[in-house]
Amino acid sequence: MSDPAVTVEVRDAHVSYRVFEEPAMGLKQGFARGRMRRQYRMIPAVQGVTLDLFEHETLGLIGPNGAGKSTLLAAMTGLLPLRSGSIRGRSRPSLLGVSSVLRPALSGRRNILIGGLALGFTRAEVERRMDEIIDFAGLRADIDRPMRTYSSGMRARLRFAIATARIPEILLIDEALTVGDEEFRRLAAERIDDVRSASGSVVLVTHNMNEIRRFCDRVVWLDEGRVRAVGDPADIVDSYLAAPSPNSR
Amino acid sequence: MSTEAAGGSGSGERTVRPLIDLTSRPTARTYLREAWRRREFAIVVPAQDLRAQNMDTTLGQLWHLVNPALLVGVYFLVFGVIIDTRRGVDNFLGFLIVGVVLFHLTQRVTLEASTSITQNMGLIRSIQFPRILLPAASVNGQTAAFVPALALAILAVLATGELPTLRWLVLPAVLVAQFALNFGTALLVARIGTTMPDLRQILPHLFRLLFYGSGVIFSVDAFVQSAAWRRAFALNPLYDVITCARWCLLGEPVDLWVVAGLVMWCIVMPAIGFWVFHRSEQRLGA
Repeated sequence: MSDPAVTVEVRDAHVSYRVFEEPAMGLKQGFARGRMRRQYRMIPAVQGVTLDLFEHETLGLIGPNGAGKSTLLAAMTGLLPLRSGSIRGRSRPSLLGVSSVLRPALSGRRNILIGGLALGFTRAEVERRMDEIIDFAGLRADIDRPMRTYSSGMRARLRFAIATARIPEILLIDEALTVGDEEFRRLAAERIDDVRSASGSVVLVTHNMNEIRRFCDRVVWLDEGRVRAVGDPADIVDSYLAAPSPNSR
Repeated sequence: MSTEAAGGSGSGERTVRPLIDLTSRPTARTYLREAWRRREFAIVVPAQDLRAQNMDTTLGQLWHLVNPALLVGVYFLVFGVIIDTRRGVDNFLGFLIVGVVLFHLTQRVTLEASTSITQNMGLIRSIQFPRILLPAASVNGQTAAFVPALALAILAVLATGELPTLRWLVLPAVLVAQFALNFGTALLVARIGTTMPDLRQILPHLFRLLFYGSGVIFSVDAFVQSAAWRRAFALNPLYDVITCARWCLLGEPVDLWVVAGLVMWCIVMPAIGFWVFHRSEQRLGA
């Protein structure tokens, strides 16, 4: 396909977030200096990233811890404000992740409802897709049991089934495939292909280089908030693994 | 599986859709429309949580009824029997139960809403949705939990010899006003609670103070002599709610200032709450 269409366009994006810093000094000195406000430090997580995401593409995002991978994804979904630069896209990307809204005490079926509503489905839409989601998660027999009684593999399948119940045009995955067994990976690969064949794009953040080789068409190597290299998965992964970095994986 | 993204992918022609800015803030109008479209989230999730809350107890869902009954029982024992504050009130049990139940509703909504953002940071950092749904869920959940308590209060009022009058028809309006008041307060404290988590330590004390300033357990008219001071009570929205509700159900006297106070608060509070919440919404996740 010549001249593939852009789905997301990131231009010189800068993202910082603030973290609360424990004051090094005691309360007494704090009073003495009249500084009772909480201390924040701005962490410049993404510092001038420019990249394009094309349709029918799975893009891998690798880099050491703290390279800004997750922050970049958060900025792409509009979860974190940009300090400067721009991010434009065909539609709002969705980050694969509903785990935080799910309630372990409730049954799998009720969690599908809760997760679906969190993703923006109406109640009727969730109920219409209920069986499909249950089957995709492979939990037909256990769906009315409380989620806390599930094995970690079952939980991972349920979360993934809910999160991808609506196949978004632009899907962002942050370390969500590492859990689960081979069966789960097969399902995940199926969904990623669904998105791609529907002229969407997938961004995959992972520390697992096998996932990169297996799923990605192109890889971006982030380091200290900047793009260090872009290119073919095999090449980038090789030079990434060869790079002398204390915490590269 | 259906695909939302399908838009013209199968057709051969290239329809290049324009790129939209993904980091801009929606206008208040689109924001509210999106929140309304997703309103079921703020109804179903708290309802499921209410269910889950008492699932492991013997009495189960009955606790939503037993709990307010015990609450009123304790207050009646202390303020109706041990320390007698019944002065100037004909039907003290009815008077007390209406006050306690309504006060408790606003208190619970406010306390829960103050942590509604901080408790859901994981969700905020992973899914894009109008954050107003989180304090809204607190309001809806506590309001649903309040229904059995309200039924109990009405039963108690009937059991103590009151008969329904035309005034009872005004009660829904008072409750709607209280809902609006609660909603506005919830938005305000949810916002403040994100930058100042200390709020959840302060609020219980604030409500203890407010409890005595709202005439929950005694008649302000009977205990406060000065008319000017009595008028100052009208500035307390909870005093307004409780006094108006008592007028409806028990025929207790109500000052025009109190009605004016309630009308003012149920308009001003949601406006302030929404403005404060919406203007800094984007920074909530950072």
